Amino acid sequence: MNYLKLFITCVVVLITTNLQAQSNYEKGMEKAFDLWETNPIEASQLFERIAAAEPDNWLPSYYAAETLILDGFTKLSDKSVLEAQLKQAQIFLNDATAISKDNPEIMVMQALLHTVYVASDGATYGITLSGKIMALYTQAEKLAPNNPRVVLNKADWEIGGARYFGQDTQPFCKDVERALELFTTFKSEIKFYPSWGKERAEEILKDCK
Amino acid sequence: MKQSLLILFFFTIASSISQTTVIGRVIDTKNNPIEGANVYLEGTYDGSMTDENGMFSFITDESGTQILKVSFISYETFLISKDVSEFNNLQIKLRDDVNALDTVVISAGTFSAGDNSKISVLKPLDVVTTASALGDFVGALQTLPGTTTVAEDGRLFVRGGEAEETQIFIDGIRVFTPYVPTTRNTPTRGRYSPFLFDGITFSTGGYSAEFGQALSSILLLNTIEEPDQEKTDIGIMSIGAVLGHTEKWDSSSLSVNGSFISLAPYIALFPDRNDWIEPFQGGSGEAVFRKKFDSGMLKLYSAFEMSSFELIQEDIDFSEGIHYKLNNKNLYFNGSYKGMLSHDWTVFGGLSYTYNKSKVELIEDDIKDSENSYHAKFKLKHHFNSRFKLNFGAEYFATNFNEDYNNSFINDLSYGFKNNITAAFSEADIFFSKNIALKAGLRLEYSELFDELTLSPRLSLAYKTSAKSQVSLAYGNFYQNPNNNILKFEQNLNAQNTTHYILNYQLNNDGQIFRAEAYYKNYNDLIKYDTEYASFASNYNNSGSAYVTGIDLFWRDNKSIKNLDYWVSYSFLDSEREYQNYPIQATPNFVNTHNLSVVTKYWIENWKSQVGMSYSFASGRTYTNPNETGFLNQKTKSYNSMSLNWAYLISQQKILYLSVNNVLGIKNINGYQYADVPDSNGNYARRTLRPAADQLFFVGFFWTISEKGTDNQLDNL
Repeated sequence: MNYLKLFITCVVVLITTNLQAQSNYEKGMEKAFDLWETNPIEASQLFERIAAAEPDNWLPSYYAAETLILDGFTKLSDKSVLEAQLKQAQIFLNDATAISKDNPEIMVMQALLHTVYVASDGATYGITLSGKIMALYTQAEKLAPNNPRVVLNKADWEIGGARYFGQDTQPFCKDVERALELFTTFKSEIKFYPSWGKERAEEILKDCK
Repeated sequence: MKQSLLILFFFTIASSISQTTVIGRVIDTKNNPIEGANVYLEGTYDGSMTDENGMFSFITDESGTQILKVSFISYETFLISKDVSEFNNLQIKLRDDVNALDTVVISAGTFSAGDNSKISVLKPLDVVTTASALGDFVGALQTLPGTTTVAEDGRLFVRGGEAEETQIFIDGIRVFTPYVPTTRNTPTRGRYSPFLFDGITFSTGGYSAEFGQALSSILLLNTIEEPDQEKTDIGIMSIGAVLGHTEKWDSSSLSVNGSFISLAPYIALFPDRNDWIEPFQGGSGEAVFRKKFDSGMLKLYSAFEMSSFELIQEDIDFSEGIHYKLNNKNLYFNGSYKGMLSHDWTVFGGLSYTYNKSKVELIEDDIKDSENSYHAKFKLKHHFNSRFKLNFGAEYFATNFNEDYNNSFINDLSYGFKNNITAAFSEADIFFSKNIALKAGLRLEYSELFDELTLSPRLSLAYKTSAKSQVSLAYGNFYQNPNNNILKFEQNLNAQNTTHYILNYQLNNDGQIFRAEAYYKNYNDLIKYDTEYASFASNYNNSGSAYVTGIDLFWRDNKSIKNLDYWVSYSFLDSEREYQNYPIQATPNFVNTHNLSVVTKYWIENWKSQVGMSYSFASGRTYTNPNETGFLNQKTKSYNSMSLNWAYLISQQKILYLSVNNVLGIKNINGYQYADVPDSNGNYARRTLRPAADQLFFVGFFWTISEKGTDNQLDNL
């Protein structure tokens, strides 16, 4: 009896440690999201480590790229650092794409990566990358017409183009409004599935009015 | 007692749970600490980032043998497998990644146009936006150093070489007839649409062993791998119309492009110096099909072109002028496959076929010629590691040329030749470090026509002198069989050859490029003959020779002045040859001592316009004045031309394009034609050879229609 009790205790101990091991992914991801707020590069490295340990999950690679891409917008004038960083982000995006093909979230991220290049040097990259960016959004929209990030980022890019040519931005502002609604309804079963973009949508809408 | 032991036992298992601290330091090959490297145990989340001293330390629950991985941008990833307990006070040295952006590049002799390549001096779109180029890729390259201004010809003359010494390749496969046929005094253009290419490499010497049968230069054009989107392009121009369409599927795409050119309306408005009976008229169609496989890419390119014209040209010996009529048909097909065999083997195979048929009526003569040419190439590349790559392959060129000659005295004379060449090549790329790279190759060619075997070594070396500058050296030996105009009369000859020596310096600053290159070339075995023109009556031999030496300078800057992008090219050229029917060694008439070219592009934000200017200056070229003693004894006055263009973006999809060549209307002189016989005073009369038209105007409207009307003409600007 005593032995049985002991055995159960031991099994419980083993299972809990095991459970703990399973949630390491969650712990790691949460830690990386926390780090992101203070040090995006370090966060990217943690996502990179998680990606290496989770070869069938596209999310860690996706976030490893996203941290670098968004951070890239703050380094637009430091060309050599930016180029190295975007090159690294491209590697992560390629890894993510290899795991999950035809993924609209990754396409949006790829379009954003190109957008950083355009923002850093419009004369060099605007010409060659603007077509690619639009093509990515069009493709993503075909796959996921109701994904709020697809709708929002496509509209964001189109507003930029329309402003440049002095054209009406209203039709695209309507898309942003739609994106904002989609943010409240869009749900994913996958833990840590991308959920960013709502603040950006609100920001754009302010400018629309 | 037993109980507690058992508990202890289970707990030990559960917590293998004993924790280990991994400590170490990451440095580079010069023992400097590396900050920001990612250090972790592979397959776990345990790891950290190195600090400013290169130090790292983290705690892990893992035990037993683990792999420690250290990765950082621009260094090779480092792996070490050991028991966790031994990961203590590690000293890890990372090697430079030679694939990184700041690695030395072998650049002697080479200009490349690409998006991200740092040795790119031109962007693909420069071809379309250079004022003097009029959308011709050859025209845009003529603003680079190393080219000479032979305004009446239009082909590429590189570093004191004849135009046919430059060979053009599409996707690595030879183009046998790259230029549109024209009349004397009217410059030709490249046959192919610049919109189909996204990479251009122009090498003015010292190129890879993969390429042969070119004494002076090679031009590599790569077709677009994957078009961005489905679209239809419409263009209406003062000289014709173009229509293009791109269709995309899952893993393949097709682009077709058709154009019709007629100079009749233009010539009716702005008559030129020729007396046209039927002005130039031509139609062409191009198609590119691409298919992506899991580990490879197939590209099929084909182009068909028809052109014709008829005119009477002024001539000093014929008061009524010379009647000239031409009909040309040209078909080109090119197919290639490039793929990975395994992660370190790459394979490339390609084939091209050219069919060219011309029918010329010249005064009383009827000349019909036809050319059938093939080129097949197979190449393998092995990556031993990132520092050592080996390239090797074989290729076969076959040309079958026939000419029929007919006039009132001679009845149907038919002649021709077969010029078949087999070649094998091998080349190694070695990176000793991020700062020193070597490319060494060997090419072996066998000419069936001459039963001659030639061996050409090629060597180039690059050394990085600072973070932004590098020095390169190149040496190479090049062979080329004589051209069709010689071979059709005489085949008992040998290949002509040349040796290149090149020293190059390049400085790349953010948005600025400076290049300086000095070279020496030595030609041997050039073809000589003993009559005024090459014909059956001539005696031919390989006793000709030549030297060329020069300096090329290039500066491009798009940073100093906002919205202004400009480049300046200067070439100094000194050359003398003794070939063809030259009685002595002399400077040939396609050589200018000084060539200067300035190209500017200014973007006016408020007008949504790009305004471009290009100016070119070339010192005079030689000609023979029979009224004085000597051969090629005089020089023409220098050549000057300034061109302007204006591209106005009406909306994302519509662009209006205007350009004027030689806006100042400068009367340039290409040379002089002297009478065959002297007049009664013993004087040879002469006629000035001027361009057919001093100025050219161009107006075009281009419209892109894409699926949702969202794609844009920015692509074409």
